[in-house]
Amino acid sequence: MKLRRGWDIARLRLRSLARRQRVEEDLNKELRFHLDQQLAENLAAGMPPDEARRAALRRLGGVTQIQEECRDMRRADHIETSWRDLRYALRSLHKSPGFTAVILLTLALSIGANSAIFSVIDGVLLRPLPYPNADRIVRVFFHSATYPRFPLNPFDFRDFRARNRSFESLAGFTRGDLQLSGSGQPERFTGFQVTAGFFQVLGLHPARGREFTANNEIPGNQQQVVLSDRLWRYRFASDPNIVGRKITLDSQPFTVVGVMPPGTEHPGNEYNGVAHGKTVDIWWPFAFRGDPAHRGSHYLEAIGRLKKGVTSRQAQAEMNTLIAQLAREHPGALDGWQPLVIPLYQEIVGPSRRLLLVLLGAVGLVLLIACANAANLLLARASARQREMAVRTALGAGRARLVRQMLTESLLIALLGGVCAVAIAVAGVRALVALLPAGFPRADTIHVNAAVFGFTLLVALATGVLFGLAPALQAARSDVQNTLRAGGRGAGSNRGHLRLRSALVVGEVSLACLLLIGAGLMLRSFVNLLRADPGFRAEHLLTASLTLPDAAYKPLDAVRFYGRLTANLDSVAGIRAAGVGSDLPWTGSDDNISGWNIEGRKPAANEEFHARYHLASPGYFRAMGIPLIEGRFFTEGDDMKVPLKLIVNRSMARCYWPQGDALGKRITFEDHPKETDWMTIVGIVGDVKDKPDSPAAEMALWWPVAQSPVGLGAMAVVVRGRSDPALLANDLRQAVRQLDPTLAVANIRPMDDIADANVSTPRFALFLVALFAGLALALAAIGIYGVISYAVSQRTREFGLRMALGAQAGDVRRLVLRQGVKLALLGVALGLVGALALGRVLWSLLYQVRPADPVTFTAVAALAIAVAALACYLPARRATAVDPANALRAE
Amino acid sequence: MSKPSNLIQGTLDLLILRTIQLEPKHGWAIAKRIEQVSEDVLQVTQGALYPALHRLEQQGWVRASWHKTETGREAKFYALTRAGRAQLEKELAQWERLSRAVGLVIVQ
Repeated sequence: MKLRRGWDIARLRLRSLARRQRVEEDLNKELRFHLDQQLAENLAAGMPPDEARRAALRRLGGVTQIQEECRDMRRADHIETSWRDLRYALRSLHKSPGFTAVILLTLALSIGANSAIFSVIDGVLLRPLPYPNADRIVRVFFHSATYPRFPLNPFDFRDFRARNRSFESLAGFTRGDLQLSGSGQPERFTGFQVTAGFFQVLGLHPARGREFTANNEIPGNQQQVVLSDRLWRYRFASDPNIVGRKITLDSQPFTVVGVMPPGTEHPGNEYNGVAHGKTVDIWWPFAFRGDPAHRGSHYLEAIGRLKKGVTSRQAQAEMNTLIAQLAREHPGALDGWQPLVIPLYQEIVGPSRRLLLVLLGAVGLVLLIACANAANLLLARASARQREMAVRTALGAGRARLVRQMLTESLLIALLGGVCAVAIAVAGVRALVALLPAGFPRADTIHVNAAVFGFTLLVALATGVLFGLAPALQAARSDVQNTLRAGGRGAGSNRGHLRLRSALVVGEVSLACLLLIGAGLMLRSFVNLLRADPGFRAEHLLTASLTLPDAAYKPLDAVRFYGRLTANLDSVAGIRAAGVGSDLPWTGSDDNISGWNIEGRKPAANEEFHARYHLASPGYFRAMGIPLIEGRFFTEGDDMKVPLKLIVNRSMARCYWPQGDALGKRITFEDHPKETDWMTIVGIVGDVKDKPDSPAAEMALWWPVAQSPVGLGAMAVVVRGRSDPALLANDLRQAVRQLDPTLAVANIRPMDDIADANVSTPRFALFLVALFAGLALALAAIGIYGVISYAVSQRTREFGLRMALGAQAGDVRRLVLRQGVKLALLGVALGLVGALALGRVLWSLLYQVRPADPVTFTAVAALAIAVAALACYLPARRATAVDPANALRAE
Repeated sequence: MSKPSNLIQGTLDLLILRTIQLEPKHGWAIAKRIEQVSEDVLQVTQGALYPALHRLEQQGWVRASWHKTETGREAKFYALTRAGRAQLEKELAQWERLSRAVGLVIVQ
């Protein structure tokens, strides 16, 4: 019944809206019928026709009035009223284009900025990962007191996989790029070695062929490969018979067993550079080599799919018991290690989360300020329209009716602002994605979509209510009689106006200060970051990556190759130094070695010697610009024919040889070393931190490339020139081609680019927060200007009187300035207190700046007050321009 | 504004609903019926009647439709809806309570 009635009502209201003409005709017909009936009755009563008609009409009363009242009854429905309000609002906006433009621009900018940031948040944080039931996928790490996340030893991994009950499937992967030769230019592709069922964990299936099986994990069964859709299309012309085809990778024949569908995203890799998303082109089998009893090396990343209903916490608990088991079976091998199970989502977006939330907070503050400004503008307008409101009240408009009218207006403004905001958001998102730091997770999923439109609409509506409510209530509260009597300048309610507007301005200033302080802290932090000595010299330096296929190069051949390459490069005009190393600074390399011994020293209980390890050719440090502190660099003579040599960094020298006598000391990896197992420290070099914002450099050691105890994998080639390093790229390619035309020179890029990519996150954050802070300051200045202008116009008579009584222009100006600066001071004080309270939020984004940095606070306070004073200056000047006689006469 | 000042606010609704309780009637007939039954005490002016009818229709208590009268003319007939029936009962109960209360006060 309720439903039926609701339907009836809806139908009728729609009808009276949409088919107005018809409804009116109906009413006329109805009334005519009534009249005719009356006429008939009168005639029947014996009246003459003329008189009967007149009497009937008299009886009926004013037809127009009845019509109007019936219309009113129908309008008990809200749609038509809203429509009328809307048209009225549009008309009144149209009448004041300046006001409309300012308020629309303010709202469009701030809502648009919010929508743009929300698009990023939606794409990065809110959208589920592109895997079925992605919430069940977790990463499994080791962690210890020194290493928060560490890869697993392959045999530990295999035991976990065999014994656990928490996982539906568990897989391992490790970076393994492959070089494709054959038709066309040799090229190296980002690749991963994966265990059987790796894609099953992700819930992905090859579009063609199959993935790897347990059989592939046996050494010797590794010559199979799964290709990305991109590689298949671009290098193999979408060959429909690709599965089963043999291709040459790293000089060895591989059989293609599968092709992944488009959009396949590799689930990331915290170590050795983030490889996430669609950048991975090749997957090939991981085989378990070596002795399962030796579990010292950790390089296998683990990923698992939890069974239904198992939480990552439960999986963590099981892994804890499993690692205890393993520790009993392999005494010593797992000391200090704990397993760590982290949801994949958290692992991928975790580091960006705080940054994005800080940005959302910042842009939200801008929106609040914009709301305050809009409310302020509306209040100013409301006081100008007070007379109109009073007249409407006097004519019978109810308070609710007026509030509704005003709210319609502010909602209309907000929605129009929202529409413009969408345009700004679309442009803004494009700019944001272009600005995003290198390697930002999931950047390619950022789009302006339905969710963003929905968000914009919601924000616009909320904004409209927020900034419209106060002015609406204020307007409806105005005292009709006084307003009308005072000719629209009722003094009492205006004072209330001013108080409300002043409060809004104080709020604006304090929020703007909050943002300015955030921007100031980030600026200081960024400057610190740029000023800090990186420990190497990035300018004029070209870097590239080379991999010599194991099949074609025995270790000694590889050493000879690199020796000849650097020698040839050294002889090129324009090249000052060339070198080869295992890696480059600031690229995420963190290969660690531990458990070595220092000659003549026993480690204390629970103490384990550890350090980052790298390889370096004789020219590496000179080319990188890493300074020598003591001793010497490696030389050509440091090869397998002479005792093993070592270079350590300053941190390692200081830590293990605090007396400063590291040079000449020996260490070894063997527990029972022969004389030839000892490595002698021949040089101490300067520290280079993992990343520019790392708190301190890790301890690190270098082996000569020619004495490397580990295999030479992908090697970094560094070439220092005299000017633009990009000019050296051809020389480098030429030098490599001369020695081996089948080799691909990969990742050619200036070291400046690498250094730049490392500060791109703080720069991104700084740029946006500074942009928002600037916007906030401008809005706050407009707010102050508006309020002071208004106050000046209210006090015209007072100023005139003062000047008539002998006050100087300067006195009046000071009076006005004092009023504005008082508001600013209050706002600044509140803002500073707020910033102190919120400092913790920024803590992790700052580098060597305290959140309560006095320099920033002082500067921001001074800036805010100066801008406020500036905003007051114009109205202050206007105040002194008052002609006393005119001012007095005006009242 | 021709509000039915001689009728207690809301009573006109009750009268109309009650009048069309048994069968649908057009506006003229409703007014006539109220006059006749009240022995010409309650005079419903058109200015009050039609807005009231439209309001009742908007609220879903009555439904209107065009039908031929006995004289063959088209007239707009108003009929109670089920919701209107419930509303009538509610208003009747309210009226009885009110009139009893007024009666008590007057008789004392």
